[in-house]
Amino acid sequence: MALVRLSQIHFNFQTAAQPLFEDLNLTIAPGECHLIHGYTGCGKSTLLKLLLGILERPWEGEREIAEGATLGVVMQDPNVQLLRQTLGAEVAFALENLGVASNEMLLQVRSALRRVGLYISLDTPIASLSLGQRYRLMIAAQLVLEPDLLLLDEPWAQLDDQGVAELSAVLNQLKQQGVALLIVEHHRGVFKDLVTHRWQLSQGKLHGVAPAQAEASPSQECWRESPAWPQGEAVIDSHGFTLAFHERQKLFDAESLLLFPGEIAALVGDNGCGKSTLLKSLAGIQADIDPLGIKVFGKKPKLGRFGADLALLHQRPSRQLFENTVIEEIQFSLRRFGLPLEWAIELLGQLGLTTLARHSPHTLSYGQQHLIALASLACFRPKLLLLDDPFAGLDEHFTSKIVALLLELSRQGTAIVVASHRPIAELPIDRLWRVADARLECFGMATACEKQAYSRVG
Amino acid sequence: MWARRGGRAPIICRPKRHFVINDVRWCALALLLVLGLSSGAFLLPQTWLHYLALINLLLLVQGRYLGGRLKGLLVIFTSQLAITSLLYLLLHGVERLPEGITAVCRILMAMIPGWWLSIACSPQRIGEVLSHCLPHKWTFVLAACFGILPYLGQETREIYQMQVMRGANIRLKSLWRPRHWHELIYCVLYPLLIQLLKLSKQMATAARLRQFGRHPKPTHWPF
Repeated sequence: MALVRLSQIHFNFQTAAQPLFEDLNLTIAPGECHLIHGYTGCGKSTLLKLLLGILERPWEGEREIAEGATLGVVMQDPNVQLLRQTLGAEVAFALENLGVASNEMLLQVRSALRRVGLYISLDTPIASLSLGQRYRLMIAAQLVLEPDLLLLDEPWAQLDDQGVAELSAVLNQLKQQGVALLIVEHHRGVFKDLVTHRWQLSQGKLHGVAPAQAEASPSQECWRESPAWPQGEAVIDSHGFTLAFHERQKLFDAESLLLFPGEIAALVGDNGCGKSTLLKSLAGIQADIDPLGIKVFGKKPKLGRFGADLALLHQRPSRQLFENTVIEEIQFSLRRFGLPLEWAIELLGQLGLTTLARHSPHTLSYGQQHLIALASLACFRPKLLLLDDPFAGLDEHFTSKIVALLLELSRQGTAIVVASHRPIAELPIDRLWRVADARLECFGMATACEKQAYSRVG
Repeated sequence: MWARRGGRAPIICRPKRHFVINDVRWCALALLLVLGLSSGAFLLPQTWLHYLALINLLLLVQGRYLGGRLKGLLVIFTSQLAITSLLYLLLHGVERLPEGITAVCRILMAMIPGWWLSIACSPQRIGEVLSHCLPHKWTFVLAACFGILPYLGQETREIYQMQVMRGANIRLKSLWRPRHWHELIYCVLYPLLIQLLKLSKQMATAARLRQFGRHPKPTHWPF
C-alpha cells in the first residue's frame, strides 16, 4: 500500500521559461528509501515542499497521502529548524503543540533520543552539539510525531563522513522499523546501503537510475600535475601555532603553515574542527582566540589591513549581496578599491553570466547567487583568496565553473585556501592542510613521502 | 536526567549557558523584577540611582558568572556615551555634560536586567510565563525573538566583516563622517533584514511542520 502518491504533477515558477515539474509521478511505500538527485535548482527542495503540502504557489496534479500518515522533514540547514535552546525542550516542542501532558513528555522524548543514538543530558545546550548531532536531534524531534515518511534535504552535503556514518546507522534502523525515507542529494552515489529506489530529477520528471549507474562519491584529493613552484615571498607564513579560544578547549596544533603566490591549498577536516576559525584568523576577524603568530603578507592579520590583497568568502555567501543588479554587485569592490570597472564585465563573460548582468542578485537561484558572491570577490584579483566551503550545495555544473575561476586566479598569482569537510576531487591542489585528532598536518605534492603518509592516514 | 553518553562529542566546547531559573513561578518573579528595575532606571529620582546601580552590578556579576558576555553591553554603552556626550557638548556646552552621561547610564541600567534575564531564564520558560497573559502565538514569537538574539548579533558581525573586506567605507574611522552612514545601512542593515526575513519564514515553516497552532491549549516541557 502506498504511503504517498504524486501523479501527473505540473508546476512552474512565474519567471521560469521551462516548467519545473512536468508530468511528474512518484509513489512511496512503507520501509522504502528513495534517493532523488539532480542539478542545483532542478526542484529537489520544491518537490519536498510539495510533498509536505507547504508549497505556496499553485500546482496541478494529484497528491495522495494515506489516511493517518504523518510526514517529518529535516531541512537543508538543520540550524534554522531548531527553535529551542536545550535538547529536551527541542524534542518536546511537537508534543507541546499536540497538548501532551507535561508528565508524559519525558518518556517520549527519551525514547526518540534513544532511537537516534543521542544519549546526552536533556538540558544540554543545543549550541554545544556538533552538526551531526544536531541533525540527529532534528530527526528525534520528528520521531516524537511517529512519522511514516521522513524527508531529508541534502544531508550528505552538510555532514562530514563521520556524521554521514552516524546518520546512515540511524536511518537504517528507522527503515527496518517500517519508516519510509526520501533523501534528496546532488551526488547519486551516497547512502548506497540504504537506498532502495534511485531517481534523477531532470526536465521536470523523475527518471529511474539503476544502482550500477550510481557513481562512487568523490572523496579523494586531486593533486595539480604541474604544481605552482614556490615563487616570491610567502603569503602565509607560520612556524607553528595552537588554535584555541580564550579560556576554552583548543581546536588544534599546527607545526608550520606556508603558502606561496599561485598555490592552492585544501584545508580539510570534519565539521567543527576549526577550519572556519582558521580562515577567519588568517583574515584577522576572529576575535576570541589566543594570539597565533601567523603572518599574512609578512604582517599580523587585522580586519581591513590588507585592502584588495585579501578576500574571504564566508559560508552562505549570498548574505553579502545587497545591490540592485548583478553588475553593480560585482563592481562595488572595484569602485571602492579604485580598480577598472571593465574587470567585472570580463569576469561575467568568463563565467558565462553576461545575460544576468542587469538582473537583481536577489532573484537568482542558489547556485547563481553563490557564483555572483564569489565573482564579487574574484573580480578585484586578490593576492590571497580564502574560501569557506565554497562548493556546499552546488552541482557539477557550478562546481566546474568555480574550479575554472580558481585555476585562472591561481595562474594570475592568487594564493588560494579552500576549506571543506571532505577533499574536492575536481579541484587540483598544491598543498593539503588536513585537520584530524586536534592536529593540523601539511602535505605537499613536492614531497612524495608526505602524500604517501596522507594516503595511509586517509 | 543523565544517561550514557554516546556518539561523537563536539570538538568545540562553548561556554555552557545555565538557565538557572527553571521554575515557572521564579521565572514570573524574575520577569516582574526585570520590569521593575528597567522601569526604575527611567523613573527613579537621581538620588536613588546609586542603589539601582548596585543592584545592576550584582546582576552583571551573576550574569557574567553564568556565562554571559559583557562585550555587547560595553559596545552599546561606549558608543552611546560618545554620541550623546558629543551632542550635549555641541548643543548645551560642558556644564550640562553630566546630564548626558546620566541619561546614558539610565539607558544602560534599563538594559542590564533584560540581559540578565536572557541568561538566567530559558526563552521557553519566559514564553510559558507570558502565555498566561498573552495569546500562545505571541508568546512563541517573543520566546523565539529572545532565542535568536545571539544569532542576530553573530550575523550582523559577519555581514559587517564581509562588507569591510569588500572595501565598504563602514569602519569606525569612516563612520565619523556622516556621508558614510548610508553605506552602513545599505551594505549591512539591508542584507541583515533580508536574512532576518528568510530566517523568520524558515522558523515559521519549521514550527508549522511540528504541529504549531494545532492544539488550542498547548502544554509546556517541564524541565
